[in-house]
Parts: sequence; structure tokens; C-alpha cells
Amino acid sequence: MYDVEQYDVIVIGGGITGLGTARDCALRGLKVLLVERDDIASGASGRNHGLLHSGARYAVNDPESARECIRENKILKKIAPHCIEKTGGLFITLPEDEDEGYGLEYQKIFIDACKTSGIDAEAIDPVDALRMEPSVNPALMGAVKVPDGAVDPFKLCSANMYDALLHGTTILPYTEVTSVIREGCSVTGIETRNTHTGERASYRASVTVNAAGIWGHGIARMAGVKIEMCPTKGSLLIFAHRLNNVVINRCRKSSDGDILVPGDTVSVIGTTSTGISYDECDELKVTAEEVCTLMREGARLCPSITHTRVLRAYAGVRPLIKSAEDATGRNISRGIVCLDHSERDGLEGFITITGGKLMTYRLMAEIATDAVCRKLGVPATCKTHRAMLSDPLVPRHSESATDELICECERVTFDDVKWAVNHLGVQNLEDLRRRTRLGMGTCQGTKCIARAAEALARAKGNPEETRELIRRFVEERWKGMTSVGWGDSLREMEYMQKIWKGRYAETAEK
Amino acid sequence: MMKFDTIIIGGGLAGMHTACRLQKSGQRTVVISKGISLHKPDFSEYRSLGGRILMGDSVIRGEFEGGNILAVYTENLGQNRLEADNFILASGKFLSGGLVADMEQIYEPLFGLDVEYDRDRNHWFAPFDEHQGFMSFGVKADELSRPFLNGRIIINLYAAGEILAGVDPTETDSVGKILAHTEAIADRILGNA
Repeated sequence: MYDVEQYDVIVIGGGITGLGTARDCALRGLKVLLVERDDIASGASGRNHGLLHSGARYAVNDPESARECIRENKILKKIAPHCIEKTGGLFITLPEDEDEGYGLEYQKIFIDACKTSGIDAEAIDPVDALRMEPSVNPALMGAVKVPDGAVDPFKLCSANMYDALLHGTTILPYTEVTSVIREGCSVTGIETRNTHTGERASYRASVTVNAAGIWGHGIARMAGVKIEMCPTKGSLLIFAHRLNNVVINRCRKSSDGDILVPGDTVSVIGTTSTGISYDECDELKVTAEEVCTLMREGARLCPSITHTRVLRAYAGVRPLIKSAEDATGRNISRGIVCLDHSERDGLEGFITITGGKLMTYRLMAEIATDAVCRKLGVPATCKTHRAMLSDPLVPRHSESATDELICECERVTFDDVKWAVNHLGVQNLEDLRRRTRLGMGTCQGTKCIARAAEALARAKGNPEETRELIRRFVEERWKGMTSVGWGDSLREMEYMQKIWKGRYAETAEK
Repeated sequence: MMKFDTIIIGGGLAGMHTACRLQKSGQRTVVISKGISLHKPDFSEYRSLGGRILMGDSVIRGEFEGGNILAVYTENLGQNRLEADNFILASGKFLSGGLVADMEQIYEPLFGLDVEYDRDRNHWFAPFDEHQGFMSFGVKADELSRPFLNGRIIINLYAAGEILAGVDPTETDSVGKILAHTEAIADRILGNA
């Protein structure tokens, strides 16, 4: 009854690291299987700032990360231009920073550290900074211009997924690993369960890569090895319109709510940093205190935040490796960790890749794939630093002539929906949102979701499930709104309640 | 200066229904409506009854004296004073701006009426399908639906519809409840009750 298929490599985890690793392996000619227990980009890869670091943030305290960032920054701008917005960034010094030892002397140290790591950092006059970014706090005393940018994490994930698929990778979403198969001192495969159908299967491979982010801790345990991780929650808020042109940071030691990133039509403020338990990783809640901190600190970067509608709050868990006791996780290495368990634990055929950042995923994938190739004795070298990533939503236009608009906020058409179902593994509205941005706009799906559910059901050829698709999507949107339920967001929430539950339906019939 | 029998603030279900009822009974009324949740069927009837409507206008302040409201001023009419014997506040909940929530508090923005709500934000929301605490928040009123301003009843002001504390428009029988309630207010104003 088991479908036992042999692969060169199995990648566990459909976040950006796993997708990037699967793609790199595929580009090197390997036969690859990727399994993900949910949808791609449903964990930390879809729950972050979308910041294309210049590395400046790490220049003073973690020059290695800084160098990684600036190198990958330049590569991503070249290979994935459709995912990147070259906004530029500012590190600002405020009067209150002076009292804490982060005045203009620190700015000099900061600029020197940036230069040492190869990051273009240039001090500019506050007047020029205000011209460059009219929404920045006008009280600023100094500003440093750096090549920060914005990266769309969802586009980056689907581009990697799409390219991996084009190169023959098998990608199985909604497939959780139930056990890691060991034969003596070797990992030889995995057993899985489809989370929708309950169907079980097992797959064999010479090498298995654990790229499951914070959940990699559990995968390692299934393989019989131990990795000490430090689950660190970061909470963020999305504003309903774009507040800033460039990324705004504080020129001081990293702290809560000190980065405001513009992306597409919105801006995101973050993050907080709180150690949590493994159990909490599956049900992340943004607390009222976190919201207050982000609003308060955010207003120091950009005062107009105070009267801007907050669309929703969300949180992700950084897959950091434990090095020392630190409750906040701020001082834990954010560097890339690649564990070859044969060297570490005497376990063959098993590699863990973790740590790192969204925008260093390519390097992480390269390191992991190098390790895979060493094990397999494959001499192929990495190409991902020059192999372009294409936008999977572009080819759709050849599909048909009809182009009915489904989501007004994000301009998603029926052809997009159909393409995403047929080529990008979309099964429900949440998946569709992650591939196309549908429902991410001002109305949070209130207006378009019935239409979208109908379109999705039609594209899938299963009209009966429309209602269930809507229910799941609305519930998920709702969760992100409850921690920011005031002002216009509360008005939107009342509207959602009335549309889906209330008497609007009754009175419309009159 | 303009003098009416009753001024109705809000053109939704509750406001329009009461306005129709009063107009039909011979009162001179005016409805001030932002036009956000205009109740179309009653709106047509109201117009055919000769009712006045200030469409797209909003009340900006009220004039109070000795526990009574004497007049209101609107954005479009500026210094023109709109007087009446009775006033009905049917400006809805958050969506239509009858109530405003900020990070610190919930308030009634026109007159600063006393609002009943849970101070603990954890009680405001529940999973989407369940009953939402915030949908029952609203202005505090006595048994005759007269709201309070700083703990004191406004004798000739009535709160109707969703703005009232305890009225949750997502409850299945909410339309019937709101209509019965507005009938009672109209009866009281007409001296039938």
C-alpha cells in the first residue's frame, strides 16, 4: 500500500530555505522531493518584515552577518528583480539616542563598521533626509543612507517553488513528516501523512535535509538527534497604506519596533523579540503590550503612524540556534547554521540547515546543497547566484483571453487564480493569498472573498466547497485583526461581522 | 434658525423607520444622514411623505441646557441652528461612526454621551463565528431609551438602533428588536405611551 519512491534528496520544509535548497539541488541535476506540512511560506517565511537588509543593522555587532547580507542583497537584486523594491534605507539618530550613548559619535562607529563590511553607508544632512523621506521623524539629528530594500517574501517563495518545479522537483504541500526512517546509523527516508486526506506514504532518499525552521527541532528529534533551538517570536503590524518611501531604521543597538519597511501598497513596523516555548510556535498571538510597544516605537521613526489605520498584526518565529542564555533572543547568533549530522552525531544522510534570514536564504541553500553534493559525491557547483528567478504569475496571460477581476485591492484576475491552481499548488484561499496577494489589501478580503472562493472552486472544479473556503479564510483574517481592533480596523471588523453574519443579507432581500 | 418637531440623526434602519412613523403622524421632522448605511426602502417612503433630509451632512455639535438638548449644528449648514422639541440619535455603531474606538477608549463623538463597554480588550473579540463582545457596546440609556451625559439623563434625546448598548446587529432577531424599539420611541414622542 505504500508508495515508495527513491529520490536523491528529500527536503523537509516549504519555507524559503527549503524551497531555495530544493531549487539549488534541482539545478545541480538531483532528483528532489520537498514536503511541507502546511502551505509554502506559511511559517516564518511569510511572517516577517520583508526587509532586504543591506547588512547595516549587523555591521557593528555581527560583521559576518553584515557581509552575508550585503552580498546576498546585491545578488537578489540581480536574480529576482520582480521580488525586490530598491527603496534604499535610512538609519536615523534621534535626540533621545544621545542620552543612551547612541549619538552622533556612534553614527561614526556605525558608518565605519558598514564600510569595513563593504556596505555603502553615507551620512546625510537631516534636511536632505527629510526630503528623501518626508514621513521620517522631523526631530532627527542625523541620518545614514544605506542600500536597504524591500523583498516580497511570498513572491520570493513562489518564484523558488516554481523554478524548482520547472527543474523536476516534486513538491508536496499539506504533507507532514510522521517519522524519519533510520537504518542503522543512516537516515534513509521519511514517512508522511497528508493533512487533508490522512493518506500515508513513505519516500526514500540518499540524503534528507531538515529545513523546517523552528519545527526543525522536532524533525531532528524524529531522526534521533538533538538540536537546541531558541524559539523567538517577532511581532509586526501592517499599516493600511504606504507611509514611507524608504526603509527607516534607528542608528543604535537593535531593539523593539525599530524598523519600518515599505512594501507594495503597505508599510510594516516590527519587530518585538520574545522567547517562547516550542508548544507556542503553532498558535502565535500578538499581545496588547506588543502592539503598544510597536505603535509607540514606530511613532519615533514616523510620527504619522499614530493616526494611521493598522490593517492587522502577525507574528513569526525565528529559528535561532541556542548559544547562550538570553531571554530576548536579540544576542543569539542570527548567522547561518548548517549541521552535518554525520560529523556531529555520527548519523549519515541527514543535514540540518537553520538560522539565517529570509534574504540570506540563497546562501543557506547553497551551503546545504554543497553538503548534499559532498555526501552524494556529485561535483556540480552552485548556479543560483546567477540563475534568474522568474515571476510565476507572468506566463498566465497566454492561458486565455478572458480576464475577470477578482480582487480589486491587489488586482488579481480569474486567470491568476486558474494559473495558481494549475501550476502553483494552490488548494485554498490562504494558499491563493500567498501566491497572488489576493485579500491582503485594505478590505482584507471582505469585498472580494465570495467572488474569490467561487473562482477558486470553479478553477478547481469543486463548487461545493465555496462556503468552507470562505469560512477558513475569514477566520484567519479575523485572527490578525483582533489585536489591532480600534479605529478604522474596528469599523472594518463590524462590517465583516455584518456581511457574513448579520442582517445585511436579510435587508438586501427586502 | 429652523424649528422642527423632531430631528433624527442617522438615516439607517432605526432612524428612517422612526422618521417615517413620526412624519406619517403629522410631525415636522428632518433626517440628518451621512449616507453610509442609508435604509433605502424607508428612505423612499419618507420622501414621499414629504420628509426633509440633509443628505451627506453630519451633526458636529449639540446645544444643551438643564438636562435638555435644544439644538444641533451640522457641517454643511454651519451656524444655522436646528431646533426641535425632541431628538433621536440613531447614528449606529463603529462602521457608521456612531461610536469611535481609539487605543485608549470608546466614545460617542457627537455629544460625548456615556458609553457602556468592557474595559478589558480581551473581552472584545472572539473567534469569528462566535459572539463578539464589541458588537454589543453602545451608549447607556434609561428604560425610555434616553441616554446619559456625564451620568445625567437627557430628557428629550432618544437613542435608537445599533448605537444603544446591548443591541447587537448580528443577532438573528436584531431587526425585529430594533423596529419594536423605534416604535416605542415614536409612541412616546407622539404622546401615545
